[in-house]
Amino acid sequence: METAVSVVVDATLITLILALAAFGLAIIYGLVGVINMGHGAFLTLGAYLTWAATTAGVPFVPAVLLAALGVGLVGLALEHLIIRHFYDRPFDTLLLTWAFFLVMTEIIKIVFGTDFRNVASPLAGAIDLGTVKIPIYRATIALVSLALIGGTAFVFYRTTLGIKIRALIQNREVASLLGLDIALMYKLVFGVGACAAGLAGGLISPMLSVDPYIGNVFLVRSFFVVIVGGVGQLLGGTLIGSFFIGGSETLFALFSKQVFAQTVVFLLAIIVLRFRPAGLLRAR
Amino acid sequence: MSSGTKKRTTVVSRRSALKGMAAGTGVVAASMAAPAFIRHLNAAEPIRVGIISPLTGAWTVYGKAHIAGFELAVDEINAAGGVLGRNIELVVGDSKTEPRIVVEQANRLIRQERVDFLAGTFSSAERNAAGPVVKAANKVLLYPTFYEGQEKEYYPGVCNKNIFMFGPEPTQQVWPHMEYMLNKFGKKLFMIGSDYAWPRVTNLVTKRKLDELGGQVVGEVYIPFGTPQYESVLRDIRGSGANIIFHSLTGSDTVNFRQQFAAAGMKDDFTFWTVDDEEVVTTGLGPDVSSGGYVSFDYFMSIKHPNNGPFLERFKKKFGQDALMNTVGVAMYNAAHMAAKAIEKAGEVSTDSLRDALGEITFDGAPQGPVQMRSRDHQIVVPSYLMKVRENWTSVNDMFEEVQSFEAVEPLDARCDLPL
Amino acid sequence: MTVDADKRFPAAGRITWRDIGASETGVAVVVLAIFALLPMVVSGYPIYILPQYMLFGMMAMSLGLMWGFVGILSFGQAGFFALGAYTMGLAMHTNWGINPAYVGLLLSLVVGGTLAAVVGYFLFSAGVRATYFVLVTLALSIMVEQVAVSQSEITGGWNGMFIDRMSLTFGPLGDVPLFDDAPAYYAVLPVVALSYVLLRWLVSARFGKILAGIRENEDRMTALGYNISVHKTRAFALSGAIACFAGALYGTHANFVAPSLGGVLFSTEVVVWVAIGGRHSLLGALLGGILVASLSNYLSTVTPEYWQLVLGLIFIAVIVFFKGGVAGAVAQLPRLWRTGRQP
Repeated sequence: METAVSVVVDATLITLILALAAFGLAIIYGLVGVINMGHGAFLTLGAYLTWAATTAGVPFVPAVLLAALGVGLVGLALEHLIIRHFYDRPFDTLLLTWAFFLVMTEIIKIVFGTDFRNVASPLAGAIDLGTVKIPIYRATIALVSLALIGGTAFVFYRTTLGIKIRALIQNREVASLLGLDIALMYKLVFGVGACAAGLAGGLISPMLSVDPYIGNVFLVRSFFVVIVGGVGQLLGGTLIGSFFIGGSETLFALFSKQVFAQTVVFLLAIIVLRFRPAGLLRAR
Repeated sequence: MSSGTKKRTTVVSRRSALKGMAAGTGVVAASMAAPAFIRHLNAAEPIRVGIISPLTGAWTVYGKAHIAGFELAVDEINAAGGVLGRNIELVVGDSKTEPRIVVEQANRLIRQERVDFLAGTFSSAERNAAGPVVKAANKVLLYPTFYEGQEKEYYPGVCNKNIFMFGPEPTQQVWPHMEYMLNKFGKKLFMIGSDYAWPRVTNLVTKRKLDELGGQVVGEVYIPFGTPQYESVLRDIRGSGANIIFHSLTGSDTVNFRQQFAAAGMKDDFTFWTVDDEEVVTTGLGPDVSSGGYVSFDYFMSIKHPNNGPFLERFKKKFGQDALMNTVGVAMYNAAHMAAKAIEKAGEVSTDSLRDALGEITFDGAPQGPVQMRSRDHQIVVPSYLMKVRENWTSVNDMFEEVQSFEAVEPLDARCDLPL
Repeated sequence: MTVDADKRFPAAGRITWRDIGASETGVAVVVLAIFALLPMVVSGYPIYILPQYMLFGMMAMSLGLMWGFVGILSFGQAGFFALGAYTMGLAMHTNWGINPAYVGLLLSLVVGGTLAAVVGYFLFSAGVRATYFVLVTLALSIMVEQVAVSQSEITGGWNGMFIDRMSLTFGPLGDVPLFDDAPAYYAVLPVVALSYVLLRWLVSARFGKILAGIRENEDRMTALGYNISVHKTRAFALSGAIACFAGALYGTHANFVAPSLGGVLFSTEVVVWVAIGGRHSLLGALLGGILVASLSNYLSTVTPEYWQLVLGLIFIAVIVFFKGGVAGAVAQLPRLWRTGRQP
């Protein structure tokens, strides 16, 4: 029983944190259709900017917000300079964002150096539930993740602005006939996605070593989250995908070696992708 | 292989001789016990050493101390008039933390740059990649990193007569401190390590001693590289009833794990003993996460040995007040000095004479205290320190406090066909 | 679409393999002749290292086949390459009465081809999109690396595996050991040249025309009665077999293989080579692999920090401005010349 409870808790935490890491990708891929291979670099940059800000004396929460803003701006610049010319060629955006990843990683190394950096956890300690201990910071992040994803999904699905954006994106011809500014909407969504990735990088930074490769760990996992959950399914898709990729890894790890758990989950993700290319949530 | 090796060696020395004649010197001349006037002509020609360091790639963070140790020693040697009247010159190759690149660079340094011997490579995988190269080209490699020990099966990466080990192996790094740790904190160990040879073999060797001491392993997990989340492992540890977490994760994984271990509030419930987290990693962890843990190595910046203070002074003068030194950098430092002594002793620079002379070289000036190379298995005899990470440390200077130490710890014999 | 990329970047996108095919053969002959004569002029390190880079180039061609001629990009080509090296390493310990290296080479073709065929058919038969294929192959190379690390009893794990240099045996005619630089060079060069010729022949034969048809318009090819997934699978199996074979030769030449040879970073480096060399030209891919690897080797000793950055920027420039890479740009020269002369 003890294990059962703690497995559920662990799986929940992992799911929500992975969802947070994948969310920026879900926005950009899901809404503007760009396979953003630079997502890992957004995460890394968010973590480094948070580190830089906290080192300069900025308290943690504003530091993370600053980092998110900074990454959002970088995302906007990337979109404006390059990506917007290639929206009709998803394959080229894939390559370009990968190139962005390569370049950004090198810039990060040159600017911030390659030493391990650490961001002190702003909330130390753990909640003791008798049988299970939950680190306060992780629990908080999980809640933030839930709130962020829920909130954003709410904006996109329930508010006029969100519905407008989605309508514009889903039916470009009609929208452009109506004279609406699609280019601006794309830019906005791309920026918001980058911003979300930066926020995630910042929030994750106290849990991980901040090094130039911090984002790599999440890149492929994030993609599988989005694809397995269903492209464009911001709320349910991200959560289900994260549970499938992250949570189930925890469950598999109960019975096998970690490395098998990872490999099995990747294999399962590929199989899902084969038979449900539109994701688990969307019927074909 | 032997015929090819032989042929290549002759080709190289013939070419060197041709090139050498043009430059006014010659390997052949030197190896024929050249008359004094020729040797005098050699004076200007530096001894070339090829360094392979992880300057870029995943383990760049370790690369700085690695190469700095050797550079500092070479500065000292050259300032004191060089070796046999010749300066030492470094030619650097970046391993990019990739074994594939090590193969390229080791060959470049030997064939193109015509270095006299090699020093460096960082991980066991990098050393293994260089193994066949130094075997075929018959060049000496000085290897600095703490590692799992030599096992015949992994020849030519180890048990190779051309490779000398300047870092400690588990019977030096772990065994001397087990009695203290087990008596003080209890006999149940939970082992967690990265999923590769060094942690696995280290744990295997540790278990042998553990049996002798009546200890017990209550859990053993190996984590694939690049694992960000550790919930299930932490759960296993919590339920294991362990007294001591015996830790050999490496790279960013050690930072990830320890941050989550500390965040879960488990630091106070278990004694933490790491055989990986030296100055560089501990700096990356920060004081909150690392304090209270135990670490064992052959060298720490904080040790009180009389050699260490002046060494660090020279080091900081050259590389800055904030520069980090560690066991690997010091091993590189020792390697350079011991190679210079060996060349001085042999009176010439050739692979055979260097190999023979390096065999029983002692170096009293080593920062951690006197060290000695063993000729039979090319394993160095070094001191062993057990340190505790201070609460609220502020820098590498006050990071560790000494718990206990042993001088000149002999490792068990390498599991090779001895002597090498 | 509001913004037309082709108008904004006129050089992008308008080059196809047809422009290149005609002028390529001549260049290829010259290049291969230069490579054949090189050991007579140069010796030492370049002759040692070039065979390894030629094998990288061979892997790049296997990617060029998929990317330029089928329109499908694989981010996992190095996975096959590493698989080949491991196959060779394991085969070297066989004792079946024939040269173990021949066993390794043969097995690498079978292993690489089969794995690619299985993965390819599994995905292509469901019509998995090209973008998803990139992600799957990316995951594939991660899995190759992970399996190589975890199966340490077989692979040596993360510490890697030693592989002896092979010898060529000609039965009663005798042996040629490949320990020295020149024999190894002259053993690898014909293999690379032959694989180039074979691929050139294939893409200009009926098979290549079908692939081109699939790349241009899948629906039309389906309507014409072609089984698209089978043809794509064939191409991918061939690509996997070639990469795996090249990897086997690489393993025995480098004497060592470690899991990161199959990893994501190396896999994507191959993509960069092919993009720069020219994705519509097999020769471009081959030379892209050889030249970028050589440049990386040279420049990483000069400026280790900035070279990767510059390479990344070149990669961006190629995708934005010169979609055909260097080969495409070169192929355009005569056409520009002609149009320049015809008023």
